[in-house]
Amino acid sequence: MELTRRQLLKLSGLGLGGVLYAACTFDLKENNVESPTLIPEDLVNGIDTWYATLCRECGAAEGLIVRVMEGRAKKVEGNPAYPLNAGKHGARCEAGLQALYHPDRLAGPIKRGENARGNGKFEAATWTEGLDAFTGALKQQQSNAASVVIVTGSLRGPSANLVQQFTAGYGARHMVFESVEQTVLGEAIKRVYGDVPLPHFDIANAQYILSFGADFLGSWLNPVAYGRQYGEFRQGANRKRGVLVQVEPRFSTTAASADEWVPVNPGTEGLLALSIAYVIANERLGDANGLTALGGTAALQAYAPGVVATATGASVEKIQRIAHEFAVAKPGLALGGGSAAAHTNGVFNLSAIYALNTLVGNTGKAGGVIMNPRAPAGVEAVAQAAPMAQWQKLVDDMNSGRVQALIVRGADPLYGLPAKLGFEAALAKVPLVVSFSGLMDDTAMFADWVLPEHTGFEDWGADVPLPGPGYQVVGVQQPVVREFFESQRTNDRGTRGFNDVLLTVAEGVGGKIAQAVPWKTNRDLVMDSARKLFALNRGSLKETDFNAFWIKLLANGGWWDQNAKASAPAASAFKLPAQAQNPEFQTSADTPLFLMPFESSLGDGRAAHLPWMQAAPDPVTTATWRTWVEINLGLAREKGIEEGDVVRVTSQFGEIEVLAVPHPAIPRNVVAVPMGGGHRNYGRYAQDRGANVNAILGPATDKDTGAFAWAATKVRIEKIGRRIQLPKMEGTVPLPEQLEHQQAILFTKPKS
Amino acid sequence: MITPRIPHKWGMVVDIDRCTGCQACVIACQAENNIPINTEDRYIQRRAIEWIRIERYWEGVEEAVKTGDPSLVKARFIPVLCQHCENAPCEPVCPVYATYHNNEGMNVQVYNRCIGTRYCANNCPYQVRFFNFFQPVWPESLYNQLNPHVTVRTRGIMEKCTFCIQRLRKVERKEVKEQKRISDAEFDSASGMYGPACVRACPTDTLVFGDLNDPNGRVAKMAKDERGYQMFDRLGTEPNVIYLKKVDLHASESAHE
Repeated sequence: MELTRRQLLKLSGLGLGGVLYAACTFDLKENNVESPTLIPEDLVNGIDTWYATLCRECGAAEGLIVRVMEGRAKKVEGNPAYPLNAGKHGARCEAGLQALYHPDRLAGPIKRGENARGNGKFEAATWTEGLDAFTGALKQQQSNAASVVIVTGSLRGPSANLVQQFTAGYGARHMVFESVEQTVLGEAIKRVYGDVPLPHFDIANAQYILSFGADFLGSWLNPVAYGRQYGEFRQGANRKRGVLVQVEPRFSTTAASADEWVPVNPGTEGLLALSIAYVIANERLGDANGLTALGGTAALQAYAPGVVATATGASVEKIQRIAHEFAVAKPGLALGGGSAAAHTNGVFNLSAIYALNTLVGNTGKAGGVIMNPRAPAGVEAVAQAAPMAQWQKLVDDMNSGRVQALIVRGADPLYGLPAKLGFEAALAKVPLVVSFSGLMDDTAMFADWVLPEHTGFEDWGADVPLPGPGYQVVGVQQPVVREFFESQRTNDRGTRGFNDVLLTVAEGVGGKIAQAVPWKTNRDLVMDSARKLFALNRGSLKETDFNAFWIKLLANGGWWDQNAKASAPAASAFKLPAQAQNPEFQTSADTPLFLMPFESSLGDGRAAHLPWMQAAPDPVTTATWRTWVEINLGLAREKGIEEGDVVRVTSQFGEIEVLAVPHPAIPRNVVAVPMGGGHRNYGRYAQDRGANVNAILGPATDKDTGAFAWAATKVRIEKIGRRIQLPKMEGTVPLPEQLEHQQAILFTKPKS
Repeated sequence: MITPRIPHKWGMVVDIDRCTGCQACVIACQAENNIPINTEDRYIQRRAIEWIRIERYWEGVEEAVKTGDPSLVKARFIPVLCQHCENAPCEPVCPVYATYHNNEGMNVQVYNRCIGTRYCANNCPYQVRFFNFFQPVWPESLYNQLNPHVTVRTRGIMEKCTFCIQRLRKVERKEVKEQKRISDAEFDSASGMYGPACVRACPTDTLVFGDLNDPNGRVAKMAKDERGYQMFDRLGTEPNVIYLKKVDLHASESAHE
């Protein structure tokens, strides 16, 4: 064929254009020229818009408003309308922004391919491939459905409903993983108050709080909501200043704020509570009906302060004084949780502690324990955390080949389970491991497929806060920004919501499982719940039209009904135990020190990838970025240990190396190590940083529930001769007080 | 129509009795004001930047070691930020007028005048001025979070708490537009979006912000509380940040260690 000059030019022009077009692919929507009046207002320069949603960084589910400018989230603040945190928020909520814009987020699915498992090499893949692999595996295992295990983080509301229906429809197993689970708390509440949701603790109106191990200002349940109440408790208008006594072996944030800290021997919190009960009962200081309900004074005779003082480490005088103060200051409120629950006698401890409330008759009263109603139908589903015993069984099943596929979402069991359990070796025996982590976490590193999910700010959801504020609350989560990897969609990559993936897969597998989950998308699922709230026609939002209801629901960040309260619980059959249960420790001959792991700013490790949280000084030690061990100052001096000395902490299960922090406020027989360090992966800010305390914990469990007793391991410490400067806030500037010879903090006595 | 602005005198009340040291204010400030990530190196070099920080003081340490009873130890928390002094020691020492007092009672820093002599930080008794020893950088994707209403300060200049002046400017624009003064109640986080980031975050309401010139305002009233004091009052700096004394059951006048 002959080409004329004109034809050649024509062809080359077309070809060139094609090359240019292919080289600079851009999102197709950018081709559309839009009138400025049609641009969504969060994309207009200089205008900020605020959207209500929920915080997904920890289990508390605070209501947030997020400031969005030019399509990007800039700032997080508390949702002023939301009942629990009422306009306030904590550091972790703020750091949700860094989760959204984390530099190491996966921009699309990746597969292990032919690489060896766990060597960290992956290949980029598309969603079609990933979903095919996932759907294919489910189809293949249909006859052996119980060999498919879905592990998720804690789930409530529609998401719990979806996962439960999905697993039931398919026949798979669903397990909820939480490093610091509330199983023991739930069981103790059940024993004392009957089968009720976690109650509301009315801190704001209490006069005297006796807290056993519950670090409610630092990490326990909902520190932001409790912090808000604590401010009222201290200096609220028209009330007498409340008194806080913290009973805990470690000097937590709450202990640091308390009027009195009682460093009790680990695991004897229940014993101390019963001794306090003995004093109240014998001196008739409490509520007579409560005492009768608890079985009278007979059962208490074994707990006279003189008998238990030595075991608990609190003096007779102190026990009697606290018992008097607690019973006389009405209303007194007893809380228990945290490390008090994390012993082999956890349920014994907590039920004795919560029984103190019955003894002073504060149930259902302002300043006491207020029951929470169940969530409205349609959002009531809650997936309970699986206790340690079940994880042991899972590991056995994995080892014996009874697990064919392991799906992991919103949880990092490889990091969070005690290393002793052998989860890592067992993972190698599972033919298919799929992770939904948006960032390479420790478990994802051993996966065959990583299908990255949206962050909380990019996805739909609804949640029922647990514990609620004493009435029904449903929080709603909406995408506040466009997906960060939206442009990757044209390549069949980017991130997707976990619920959406489940729905797509259910449709792909078809049959029973597709019928079990009748929704098309995650948004449909959330809207379906919203329809049920709409039908109630009560509470904070009443509309005649569902669309108007839906829009206002999103704008308000949820629905609540202050009149939907729970009635007082029926009298429970709980009787004070006549026989004390002593804690048992995982110990060998040369491990004299109790190890207290605790939740720092990194939580149980989930927040370790966020630079703000790594850099947030620990309130008491002001330490940042590293894992440290708190050692009694006197003991450290005797052993010649100084701050920054690298110390080996050894239990019978393993050893970790951490930086020493000689600490004036920790008993001589206790050392404390923060959780959350020592990730092998999890992005540039967490990887190979600090040490993972789970590596040295024994797999001890609570006797009654099988829950993980993470405070039941004993250790020894030794200096290894190296020293690393501890990165901490203290000393960044010279203490002004020392320069100016004047006190920064002035004191006064409470008004009488 | 443009009317003259009603003069404000911005101030803050810090009730130390409510503070739990939780760091919510610290991180909220860093998010709002584009403060560079305080990496491990920054802490080790003692060059971390925290416009608001929580100081922790110990009491009874040696007594606890001597008796072996750790429960004798007390920890005390106090949030420390720029005190916005009326007689600010940082102001007269600046050779280029980069730091000056504005007509709203605030001590402000003009970044593009600053030449980095650090005299001001040297002269600040509260140690709340921070020098940028490094050019701030973030990984590419984290730039998406930066607040467009706040500049990123370059290497070589001094920075400090601004009371979130970008938010206060919004208040003033609104006042001009609506021709009325905005009450302190709107800074209260339950009803407005204007207070400084730390105040809005603070779960315990330790931090309260408002106009000291508004006699009926919450802050002006709280500042007259019998627990109120100004930090290091003997220096005569007259801060616009008023602290409320910590209440202690066994309050003694003993000093910290």
